[in-house]
Amino acid sequence: MRKKLLSLLLTGAVLIGLTGCGTKEEDKGGASKDPDTITIWAWDEAFNIPAANAAAELYKKDHEDVKIKVVTMAQNDIVAKLNTSLSSKTYDGLPDIVLIEDYRIQGYLNAYPDEFADLSSVVSAGDFAPYKTGVNQIGGNMYGVPFDSGVAALFYRKDLIEQAGYKESDMQDLTWDKYIEIGKAVKEKCGVDWLTLDPSDLGQLRMMMQSAGAWYTDKNGKVSIDKNDALASAIGVYQELMNAGFVKQVANWDQFVGAFNNGDVATVFTGCWIVPSIKSAENQSGKWAVASFPRMSNVASSVNASSIGGAGWYVLKNTGHEKAAVDFLGKTFGSSAELMYQLGSEISLIPTLKAADDYSSKDDFFGGQDVVADLINWTAKVPTVNYGQSTYAVEDIMTEAMQEILNGADVNKTLAAYQTTIESAVAQ
Amino acid sequence: MRIKPARILTYLFLIIAAFVSVFPLIWMMIAATNRSVDIMKGTLIPGTYFLENLKSVLNSNLGYVNAFKNSLWIAVVTTTLAMLVSSAAGYAFGVYRSKPKKAAFNVILLSMMVPFAALMVPLFRLFSRFSSIPGLKWIALNTSGAVIIISIATAFLIFFFRQNTAAFPKELIEAARLDGLSEYRIFFKIYMPTMNATYAAAIVVTFMTSWNNYLWPLIALQSEDKRTLPLIISAMGSSYTPDYGMIMTAIVISTIPTALIFFFMQKQFVAGMTGAVKG
Amino acid sequence: MSERVQKKAWVFIVPSIFLILVFVFYPMVQALITSFQTGIGADLEFEGIANYRRMLTDGTFRKALFNTLIFLIIQVPIMILLALAISSVLNDKRLKFRGLFRTAIFLPCVTSLVSYSIIFKSLFATDGFINVCLMKLNLIDNPITWITDPFWAKVLIIIAITWRWTGYNMVFYLAGLQGIDASVYEAADLDGANAFQRFFHITLPLLKPVILFTTINSTIGTLQLFDEPMNITNGGPANSTITISMYIYNLLFKYQPNFGYAAAISYVIVILIVILSMIQFKAGDDK
Repeated sequence: MRKKLLSLLLTGAVLIGLTGCGTKEEDKGGASKDPDTITIWAWDEAFNIPAANAAAELYKKDHEDVKIKVVTMAQNDIVAKLNTSLSSKTYDGLPDIVLIEDYRIQGYLNAYPDEFADLSSVVSAGDFAPYKTGVNQIGGNMYGVPFDSGVAALFYRKDLIEQAGYKESDMQDLTWDKYIEIGKAVKEKCGVDWLTLDPSDLGQLRMMMQSAGAWYTDKNGKVSIDKNDALASAIGVYQELMNAGFVKQVANWDQFVGAFNNGDVATVFTGCWIVPSIKSAENQSGKWAVASFPRMSNVASSVNASSIGGAGWYVLKNTGHEKAAVDFLGKTFGSSAELMYQLGSEISLIPTLKAADDYSSKDDFFGGQDVVADLINWTAKVPTVNYGQSTYAVEDIMTEAMQEILNGADVNKTLAAYQTTIESAVAQ
Repeated sequence: MRIKPARILTYLFLIIAAFVSVFPLIWMMIAATNRSVDIMKGTLIPGTYFLENLKSVLNSNLGYVNAFKNSLWIAVVTTTLAMLVSSAAGYAFGVYRSKPKKAAFNVILLSMMVPFAALMVPLFRLFSRFSSIPGLKWIALNTSGAVIIISIATAFLIFFFRQNTAAFPKELIEAARLDGLSEYRIFFKIYMPTMNATYAAAIVVTFMTSWNNYLWPLIALQSEDKRTLPLIISAMGSSYTPDYGMIMTAIVISTIPTALIFFFMQKQFVAGMTGAVKG
Repeated sequence: MSERVQKKAWVFIVPSIFLILVFVFYPMVQALITSFQTGIGADLEFEGIANYRRMLTDGTFRKALFNTLIFLIIQVPIMILLALAISSVLNDKRLKFRGLFRTAIFLPCVTSLVSYSIIFKSLFATDGFINVCLMKLNLIDNPITWITDPFWAKVLIIIAITWRWTGYNMVFYLAGLQGIDASVYEAADLDGANAFQRFFHITLPLLKPVILFTTINSTIGTLQLFDEPMNITNGGPANSTITISMYIYNLLFKYQPNFGYAAAISYVIVILIVILSMIQFKAGDDK
């Protein structure tokens, strides 16, 4: 029996080897060794991958000889591969163009200063929504081409607020106080929760902070937790929300999406990239509307606009196609309004390119509201902040501070204590 | 026949354990027949979208079939070679005990104690040199050789075989030596066939480990036509709006080989050692 | 055993030693060197034991170490005992449907991490199936916040690992049990031994080498625990389920890459495992 098994395995191995996998073994080199192929990495088959493909189509119209290969890879996998390869200075198999999240890019640009190409020759900061270019510059040089807007907005169920006696006009440019007031009414009259909160995800806190032009770090990228009024106020709002009795707690992304798809909550405030997820509940068509992000009334600098997420395109300098890749980005994502219009209709992209800020599109799902025009309008108002080099490192520790506060600890004292903890954690 | 209450309890315990074990798998299969939206809502009713999901899996430009082939090739070769190399070492450590071998064994054990994440970057640097050495091209980065070579000799398997060798009747070896069999033939002709249950267990876990291996293939395999199933599935799940119907279908199919291997191998787990020992 | 035979035996061992030296020890030494360097990305400088000193004041590291040890102390014994119980039950020749039960109980470790983490998250949601059942059975009055409460999140992780790895350990025991001669059990039956006596007086002592193997293996697996906290609780709430391996991963990839510090923490795991394994070997090795 044992021998039979072994021989079976061996035969199997040999067979597979003969039928192809084995014969492909000889090293033809990683993608980027190919002399005239530009390789692009991104992570979302429903969003940034089709965007890269569309850009490739556009570019090929005038550059027939250029080959472009778009590869889907999980974001965490991209990060792992970039770190391993760049720290070893091994460029085999790395892409020429890679999409990197706004929160992470300053960390990369600082950790690997000689690995990213300067794109100043093809794009300038003035061409994009101001908050996007704050993150991809070093010493005044542009290292990235901004891609999607992460503009935050308040998505709400029009039918439910109307049941509770409110109108669309009541939802415009809200303060958090007013938002909570309406929420209580909706919960009382409709019995539906107002929003979801995930205590281990501080995204909501981040959005509130950015609406006031603040972050975990100050303008110079230094940790700013203690005496950060915007942060303290945001935590205050978060606590009020938590205690208002209209929150459906969720513990992860799937439950978060499930909650509004199921009609369990009446509002969602998050980035505009949530639109496709909201629209996937086809039976709720016509019931939704979008309003600007609520502001904090007790922080003077807080405006009705913020952002969460969003990413940009970057060129790796040492993979052999710097020039071609820079040219590609310059002629596509860096300047083409036409491409942005196309992506707007195909993947609901909210562009950050100013040349495309006249884009608009009425959406029946949102009762005919021109959602795109609104989102573009708010994108331009998002305050610029310095995300610093380690947003995620800070935030993982901040979840502990938040928990203490939610359990009753004093806000200011806790923040003061965590200032030093976080400072030492991000020190290299 | 009188049925003992203890027997009923045993069955009850096993049925509950089996149900709890299988439930997520069944859920996954049901999910594979539904649309993403319904899965998010937590439906437990089989749907009618399996073929559609299957089509999305096959049509996605990630190359599922190709990844399946890559995974199969790597897992089969790794398992086959590991059974030869690691079991030989485990056998020798168990049977031919001596001070230097004990020391060598301890050193090997130490190698299973370092978290792989810490070894990854140095390992990557090491492998990146192989592509310029003519004799080592077959294990250079971006070849399945690079993934296979590091899993052939594992402390885990060597340790497992060594421990199981304790149950191997030493009289068999003595008898074989008297018959004039060489030490190597004893291993191949006596040990291997006798220890079929041990090999079955080792094959199951080695195949499974290789099949699910993630971090090293991620780093070592670079071009997308070399990618293995876990990498493809990870790429499918990284969307802001994941298509769970497609992902679950991809996962269900990728679960089949390991489940099949276990199903066939578990027949070796029958009480008592087989023929060779008693005969 | 003759000198000649002892020498010949090295032929069995040398290929493994060679592969392990090149592909594990060489990187291990490199990692050890890196652990004495600080800096971000590729820009590293030798700084002596700075990284090791840093651990002393690193709150997240302390938390990760604490969580990992809790998981180890509570989960490993539960799982080992459960796997032993199941495999000795399944080894009974008189039992029907053995193949079916074996396969069913093994399946969790084949089930992909992605799908089972989705299922666990939804089953253990505050309004999920588990809470509904517990409340219907009147075992609890209020739903347990499995994922958002620091204590229950740990319990959830322990449940999840046990669920996934019990069947896996069962495989080793089932294989090990085949080495026990059936006649030993038959003799015990004639002496009128009951199931418990058989288990404690025959099965346990004879399985000792395999139990040692699974214990050490599970110890290592738990000290390097990554998948479950990463996918089910994402280390939360508030780092209350973060493990050392997850922290290492974060230091390498989620935060600004800090290879030196990550390597230093890895070596702390190594030292822990070495100590624990030595204790286990002392307690359980046959020779």
